[in-house]
Order: sequence, then C-alpha cells, then structure tokens
Amino acid sequence: MQVEYPKPKWTDKFLLLDMFEGLKTTFRELFRPKVTIRYPEERLEPADRFRGMFRFSYDRCIACKLCALACPIDIIYIDVHDETIEQEGKKKKVKVLDRYDIDVKRCMFCALCEEACPTKPKSIWLTTKTYELATYDRNDLYFNMQELEYWDDRPRYTGLPEEEEKPRIADERRMLGE
Amino acid sequence: MNPWMTYLIWPLIKFSIAFIAVQALVAAMNWIERRLLGFFQARLGPNRVGPWGLGQIIADPIKFLLKEDFVPARAEKVAYYLGPILPLLPSFIVFCLIPFGPPPTFAVTNNINVGLLLIFALTSTAVYGIILGGWASNNKFSLMGGLRSAAQMVSYEVPLGLSIVGVLMLTQSLELEEIVRYQEMNSWNVFPQLVACFIFIVAMNAENNRTPFDLPEAESELVAGFHTEYSAMKFAFYMLGEYSLMIVNSCLAVTLFFGGWSLGMGGIGFTTEVMQKMGWVGGLIGTGIFVTKMMLFLFMYIWFRATFPRFRFDQLMDLGWKFLIPLALANIFVTGIVLLAFPSRLYGDTVIAVGEIMLTVIGMIVIALTLVLLFKPKRPKVINASRVSEA
Repeated sequence: MQVEYPKPKWTDKFLLLDMFEGLKTTFRELFRPKVTIRYPEERLEPADRFRGMFRFSYDRCIACKLCALACPIDIIYIDVHDETIEQEGKKKKVKVLDRYDIDVKRCMFCALCEEACPTKPKSIWLTTKTYELATYDRNDLYFNMQELEYWDDRPRYTGLPEEEEKPRIADERRMLGE
Repeated sequence: MNPWMTYLIWPLIKFSIAFIAVQALVAAMNWIERRLLGFFQARLGPNRVGPWGLGQIIADPIKFLLKEDFVPARAEKVAYYLGPILPLLPSFIVFCLIPFGPPPTFAVTNNINVGLLLIFALTSTAVYGIILGGWASNNKFSLMGGLRSAAQMVSYEVPLGLSIVGVLMLTQSLELEEIVRYQEMNSWNVFPQLVACFIFIVAMNAENNRTPFDLPEAESELVAGFHTEYSAMKFAFYMLGEYSLMIVNSCLAVTLFFGGWSLGMGGIGFTTEVMQKMGWVGGLIGTGIFVTKMMLFLFMYIWFRATFPRFRFDQLMDLGWKFLIPLALANIFVTGIVLLAFPSRLYGDTVIAVGEIMLTVIGMIVIALTLVLLFKPKRPKVINASRVSEA
C-alpha cells in the first residue's frame, strides 16, 4: 500500500505548522504509558523458551556423560561408579552418579548439553526462567547436583556477605534417595 | 514611614523572599526537567530517591558540594574562578526588578521607569561568564564553546531587543508595571504582537543556550562545551546561572506578552484594581497567577528541548540574521504603519484605539487558524498498488 500525504500548502508553511505538529506529537507522548520496568519491584516474565539457569534431574539421569562430552568448555564434572543390583532375579550392572557438578560461572548457556542428553524427558535442561544468578562470591556459582536439582529452594541473597552468614544450600534431609 | 524602612529594610526582605523562592525553584527545576524529559521519552526519569524522586532535589546539590573541585593546572586562575560567578550576579539582581504581583506586593523595587532596559542590560552581561570560563579552562573544546556562545548571544540579542520594540510602541512605556496595566486594560500583547512574541520566544531559547540552540555545550561535538573543565560547585554555579536566567526570561515573556500578574483583558477579569481591593489576598492571587504563567514557560523550555533537534552552527546564524532580524524589523514597520494609519478615535465618550484592535483581531485570527489547521485530521491519501501499476 502506498500512502501519499497531502503536500504542504503555503498557509502551512506560513503558520509553521510542521513545528507545531512536532510539538503536538511530543505533547501526546507525555501522557502515554511509560515502558520502564522498575526492576526490583517489577519483573518481566521471560519468554517460554528463555534459557535460564540449569535444572538437573537425578532420577532421569543415566550417567552416560554425553553432556560432559558435548560441553565446549568442559565445565560439567561427572564421577560415576558401577553397582550390581538384583532386578527380576538377574544380576544387573548399573551406573550410579556420584558427582554431577557444573561450574556455572564459566558457562555460556549454549545448551549443547541439553541437546546431547539422550533421556526423554531430558535430565538436564536450561529452559527455566531463573535469570537472577548474581552472587557476591564467584565460588557460589559452582553447583553440585543437589543444588542443581533444588535451585528453587536456594535462598535469595539479600544482604552483603559480611552482614549475615550465607545459608548453606545443601540440605542433608533433602538428599536424593531419601 | 521611616525612609530606612522604605528604601532598605523592606526591599531587602522582599528581595530575600523572591531570591530564596527563585533559588528553590532552580533546584527543583533540575528534577522537574529530568522527570519531564523522561516522560516525553517514554521513561520515568529519576524516581528512586524519596517519593516520586523528590529527594533528587536535595541529593544533587549535596553531590555537587562533596565532589572534588578540580582546577586544570594551566588554567588562567582568575578568569577560571570568575567564569561561573559572573552569570549569577545579573540573574540575582534582575529579580529585584521583576514585578511578581500587583504594585504594593511583591515587586522589590517599584517604578523603575527604564526597568525593561535595565533588565536587558543586565541579562546580556551573562555571556561574559561563559566566554571567560571557556577561554580560561585552557581546553580547545571549552574555547570553541565559549566562542560559539559569544557569537550566538550577540546574534540573538538583536532580534530579542527588536522584538520588544513593537510592544513598547503599543504600551509607550519601559516600565514593566505600565506594560502589565496596558495589557489588562487592552489585550495581552501576544495577540497584537504575535510575531514579536514568536521572535521573543525563539531568541529567549537561544539566549539561554537551550536545546535547539545549545551549541555552546553541544555534547556530541564539544564534550561539554564551555564547562568541560568545570566540576563540583563551579559547575553547579553555571547551572544555577543558566536556570536563573531561564526563569528571568520566562518572567519577562509573561510580563511583556502574557499579561503579567493579571488574568483578564479589556479591563474585565482579575485586573490590578480588583486585586488591590482584595488587599493582601489579592496580592497573593496575583503572584500565584504570575508564577503559574512562569511555570508554563519553564515547561515550554523543556517541551522544546524534548522536541527539536539541535541546529547546525550556520543554520543557527542563518535563522538569527536572515530570518529573525528581518522579521522583527518588518514587525516594527507594520506595527508602526498600522498605529499611525489608524489612530485612536473618540466615539461618543469612549476612546477606541482602532489600530491596536485591528492588530489584536489579526493576531487572534492567525492563532485560531493555526489551531484549526493543526487539529484538523489529516487523512493520508491511499493509493492502491493496482492503480500505481496502471499508472
């Protein structure tokens, strides 16, 4: 569609209508709703496919280490040991996860680990909506598997680290398998 | 009354009130301007300190006081220190001369019969501070800013001075009170002197280095222009001077063109006589009306800043010398011709100033026409793609 505005007449030029048109536009803008989000009080809900913080599920994980292989900067640390368990009268060898740590401070949230994960549904995924990951100590960004699984329960840091003891995240009662 | 009271104590008290009020307004203007600019640009502006960000008014001066007062090593010390102070003095003195309310109330000094000339003489000295500061900082950007400021101020003094000549021809007085009284008895000078009012507003923006004309401190070209090397309280002094002069010019525009403290035309409405009968309440009402009009002008400054982009320097000079000055001269010429050709006549018992009424009517028609054309919905003509291809 082609739009053609009427050409300015000499009266428009004489009365400086362009100038007043500009003033009118800005004056209308004065009463428009503002776009600012006052962050700590108001938050935007991230989109559904937003790549936020990791989440890990111990129950779904088969300890295949594919995610650690896929990671381009090798920040996923996995330790596994074999266990033999009896299932339906047969002896079966199972891999048991000892350690699943992610050094999130170096992570670039590329989600290749999520792509590599063979389980369905994925046992590691990034499409959570948590994006407030700032900490006062960089070592706080090193997460073990309990922390990765229960990041919802992680307390928010409100005060400076000197002011209050940083609450430890690992809650023994919530350890997996109990 | 004791002459000491009449000529010293009482004016001093009045001046202190006006001075403190104006300085408080200057401090508040900083917040008002940032907040309004934010609103114009779809953001909120400073809103974190105190309710609605009002704490910003106190926080900014405290910041200025506590910052390091830096002096460049090779600056010309005397001129460098004089720079921020010089623009302050005229703007402080001028507040003695402005009639804030009907005669006995708030004007600090009554009946200065060359008040307008004195104000223009004082305000035009404000440019020295900027030039001195720009030169003394020993910085090429500052120098450029100072030079630009000098050229701009000189250019725009002329249309500013010429634009008030039309007003003087109508009112036949340089006394600000007389000008206001003329306006409340006849009509506000915007209408008969519409062109002069336009020139005055444009030149007043240019005089204060406000945004369409803020070349002396063009931040995209000259870092910060003439105040590049100024920090802390010296910078705050420049700001204080600039905003004080903004208020002065707003007061002048209100007094010259928008009826000063009165709210009424042709002797009807809130005129001086009505207010004087009401006693001190009338004085307060008059002052309130004056301050409201002045605030509208300050809003206009911010509005212009949010609307118009900065001129190039040659465009600025073209506008001043090739457009505004001829326009102002033409305005004087036309006003003079009309006043001479249609002198006041006596109809029965009443004197009717035919020429002034004619000018007023023409001004009102032009304003009405502008508003009608401005708010007339413009329908874009839509050409269908098929029709375009046929053509």
